[in-house]
Amino acid sequence: MSQNLIVKDSAPRSGLDRRHFLRLSGLSGLGLVLGLGWKSDGHELIASGADAVTVKLNPYIIIESSGTISIMNPMPDMGQGTFQSVPAMIAEELEVSLEQIRILQTGGEKEFGRQTAGGSNSIRGQYQKLRTVGAAGKEMLILAASQRWKVPVTDCYASEGNVYHKPSGKSFTYGDLAEAAAQLPVPQNPQLKDPKDFKILGKNYPRPDVPLKVSGKAVYGIDVELPGMVYASVAHCPVFNSKLISYDDSETMRIKGVTKLIRFQRALGAHKYDAIAVIGDTYWAAYQGKLALKTNWDYEGNDSFDTENYEQTLRDMSGNEGQVVHSDGDFEGSFQSAPVQITALYELPMLSHSPMEPQNCTAQWHGKDRVEVWVSSQGADRVKSEIAKNLDIPSDNIKVNILFSGGGFGRRLYNDYAVEAASIAREMETPVKMIWTREEDTQLGPFRPPTFSAMKAGLAADGKPLAFQHKVISPSMGSTLEDKKDTSGESSSMTEGISTQAYELPNMKNEYVFSQIHIPLAAWRSVTSSTVAFAHECFIDEMAEKAGMDPLEYRLQVLLTKPSDTKRLLLKLKEVSHWEKALPEGWGRGVAQYEFFAGLGGYVVEVSSKDKTSIHIEKVYMVIDLGTVVNPDTVALQVEGAATMALTAATKSAITFRNGQTRQTNFHNYPLVRINEMPEVEVHIIAEGGPKIRGVGEPGLPPFAPALANAIFAATGKRIRKLPFNMNKV
Amino acid sequence: MASISLTVNKKKYQIDADPEMPLLWAIRDLIGLKGTKFGCGMAQCGACTVHLDGEAVRSCVTLLGRADGQEIVTIEGISDNTSHPLQKAWIELQVPQCGYCQSGQIMSAAVLLRENPHPTDQDIDEAMMGNLCRCGTYTRIRKAIHRAAEIMNG
Amino acid sequence: MMNFKKWVGIIVSMTVLIAGGSAFILPLKEKHKILYTVKLSGNEHPDKVPDSIISKKSFLEAYRVLMSPRCMNCHPSGDAPLQGDDSHVHTQGVVRGKDGKGMYALKCSNCHQPKNIPGVGMPPGNPKWQLPPASSRMVFQGRSPRELAAQILNTKENGGRNKAQLVAHVVNDTLVAAGWHPEQGLTLPPLTHKEFARQFKQWLDKGAYLPD
Repeated sequence: MSQNLIVKDSAPRSGLDRRHFLRLSGLSGLGLVLGLGWKSDGHELIASGADAVTVKLNPYIIIESSGTISIMNPMPDMGQGTFQSVPAMIAEELEVSLEQIRILQTGGEKEFGRQTAGGSNSIRGQYQKLRTVGAAGKEMLILAASQRWKVPVTDCYASEGNVYHKPSGKSFTYGDLAEAAAQLPVPQNPQLKDPKDFKILGKNYPRPDVPLKVSGKAVYGIDVELPGMVYASVAHCPVFNSKLISYDDSETMRIKGVTKLIRFQRALGAHKYDAIAVIGDTYWAAYQGKLALKTNWDYEGNDSFDTENYEQTLRDMSGNEGQVVHSDGDFEGSFQSAPVQITALYELPMLSHSPMEPQNCTAQWHGKDRVEVWVSSQGADRVKSEIAKNLDIPSDNIKVNILFSGGGFGRRLYNDYAVEAASIAREMETPVKMIWTREEDTQLGPFRPPTFSAMKAGLAADGKPLAFQHKVISPSMGSTLEDKKDTSGESSSMTEGISTQAYELPNMKNEYVFSQIHIPLAAWRSVTSSTVAFAHECFIDEMAEKAGMDPLEYRLQVLLTKPSDTKRLLLKLKEVSHWEKALPEGWGRGVAQYEFFAGLGGYVVEVSSKDKTSIHIEKVYMVIDLGTVVNPDTVALQVEGAATMALTAATKSAITFRNGQTRQTNFHNYPLVRINEMPEVEVHIIAEGGPKIRGVGEPGLPPFAPALANAIFAATGKRIRKLPFNMNKV
Repeated sequence: MASISLTVNKKKYQIDADPEMPLLWAIRDLIGLKGTKFGCGMAQCGACTVHLDGEAVRSCVTLLGRADGQEIVTIEGISDNTSHPLQKAWIELQVPQCGYCQSGQIMSAAVLLRENPHPTDQDIDEAMMGNLCRCGTYTRIRKAIHRAAEIMNG
Repeated sequence: MMNFKKWVGIIVSMTVLIAGGSAFILPLKEKHKILYTVKLSGNEHPDKVPDSIISKKSFLEAYRVLMSPRCMNCHPSGDAPLQGDDSHVHTQGVVRGKDGKGMYALKCSNCHQPKNIPGVGMPPGNPKWQLPPASSRMVFQGRSPRELAAQILNTKENGGRNKAQLVAHVVNDTLVAAGWHPEQGLTLPPLTHKEFARQFKQWLDKGAYLPD
């Protein structure tokens, strides 16, 4: 297996003919191909073959007459395993092993439709469609073989890239058959395999990128090297919305290797931020040049922004009436008359995504209106559209090469850094590789939105809920990133999941209170559920406490009387965590679950505390409900990773501002969990098969922190209502 | 600018560069070996870890001048054909997610196993706390180091 | 009593020019430049007449330096060094090791270079960056003045140093001097190196009394 991500040909793709496609894809020959893909409307499966010149098609499967089989992967791999799991869906039905194929990344061509990995959507969004592509290809190859042998189709079968004639044992390779198969009509409803016959799907299949990643051979965006390439380091203002008044480059130009400065604007969502790129022969020269650059900014009043003040504003707004996002029954009346009333305010901070690979992009222009970029991004289609919009060129003139991403977590859904590189390269004759520093990655956003949650519940004397309210007070992603003036549409994304949990809560009225902010905010792994789930699930625990019940039994017996996936999940957690078994002195266990757009997961966390102040995590149990699973080991990895990220979010640093600047800069003051802090996570998958298929990458995140905080309460009696908190001093 | 001689993965290089340039950028941009990664630039994350005379230095803060005339091994040179016990164990346990930190993780773990062929969990912490992983592969790294020790010790 | 040399040149590895609060670092070749001298005296000298009040007072002055983050951070109560003005545990969880130079992939010199690297939060440098070895851990953190003074004098704990050697360590050791050339953005000890050395020596000269 090799990574064929870098395309040698430098001409951007426009229109498509087969010869051109072959050349661009770095395929070995000009032999005939069977290319199979979806028509641009996504409803009709079509083949290229002889028609390739006239049919606008980017095929998912390319079988060359030489025998080389390539599968296009539309979902960038940022560590979530799509380099294996997405091609696997085609390969399974096509009857080829992953070892005998080449995996190529798509480049944002319209015909592939959505090419963005985000929202835990890569598998659940493609499962039927890509299997159908593979199955149709297999049927065409089998039919081509049966026609050549003049034998019944039913006597032929496909295996490992060959078609066999069962009675005689004769065989053809797929390469032998590609030309003939390409001439056949494309079956629109090919027979999909019975899951019990799967060889790849549902198995712990080794990921083909792993050997590359342990030997330094995997190529990430930052590793791209082009002939004649120069480097760029960019000076940005750490105070958002500042205007560059002037700069002094006399020291910069004295640095050996610095050749030029380019003034441009960083485009993030609807925002344009002034910036200056320093170009150098080496990255080190460009970076030194940037350090030596003296800039004079007009902060335009944005240097007074301060996190402590902003948090006070959110606190002050918690009593405001918000936009009602859910209302059922009479909340006010039921709450007022309830014998037991509980209220609590939960405060969740801003965070940075901080993927290990700092943002970077390499770009090269061809003439005035064509550009090619090499980039680590979560979506080739989004790279294209952002460059097209900001540099005002047709999107067909943009060629995108997607490399492995050194992490994404939502950050690489926003391709401001790709637009930056393209903007810089427009002023250059040569290709330019632009690399941000870790400081820029930490300080420049977009950040996870802070959300405050004002919780209210009225309980009957026996603990039964009579009224419930979750009110989210926060700025919104859309309003800051896209600079929307009308914020009425923001309430649903900022109250994600709070009204759709399976809990039977009567007289529930949920609200959203919008707060203005000028800091760019955006989706961070598991989006708003990463914050509001903490408030929701910790508060359910507070209700259980008031009811005098075990928090898991309160959920199961009082809040979930009817069957539901959530109830099934919690019962599974109860079983695998041995919930009823007594814990040693000083230990505590906590439970939490959350269901949201990406899926459903839950944790039981066990902690110990010798002094009721410092906390040690002893064991973590997780159950994720998927329905259908493509690679169980990848699921386990994603959950282990989500738990680690959630632990960092809960117990390390927030992103905070003083004088308009992000105070955190690098991993010394924006620390991540290290190896000694990460406990074992035992992952259980509920996968009964069938059409239901849920997301993997995100559901492991939201319920971790509330399960931890609930465990800490069980061990110490201390409620945590503000993140992050210090594990050594709760 | 100065003439610096480096031996990287047993190959000799003579490069003309600023001796204050971190070794990281010389390895990546001048010598062209991209397996060593830039993560933080201040020795916080360990993604840039290489062996300098056998020690797991953070190449982002190691000035080129210090490496002059010294022996350097990068992830590309740790074995032929991905055959180092750590690489085998990493593959067996499917450790990497995004993979960006893993070169550094393996280079650090290699020093641990050289000096302590039977590491305990605490030894692993003491060796590996300097290597960050944002994806959260820590529990697998721990298991893979134990597994590599097994492979190594036969 | 030892015969002291009459004068000891104080050798520091780097000169420090305070400009805008940040240390300016000279190349290593500039080392061995004698910046200032401290007069040392023989037994007979009136400076050496024991005086418990002056001795204790001097130690308390020196103690302010010893307990400052620049000194205490490398004399922690645990086996991990401390960092920063808030003396937090070293973020990479580095541990002492037998020789004080770290363990495995986290040896001090894997990150700490022979000299400081400019920039806030960058690893400070010294050619022999290390903690006291495991055999003489020389803990400052958490020690009262009396406990610390006693520990410094105890040759079983101080690495076998006699008084002259203690003074020489305080005056000459480039790692001690490094406390006055911290990385960018960190505070300096409350006394100058010269004044600290003077008080430390005076404490010993005046009888090495333990503070109450």
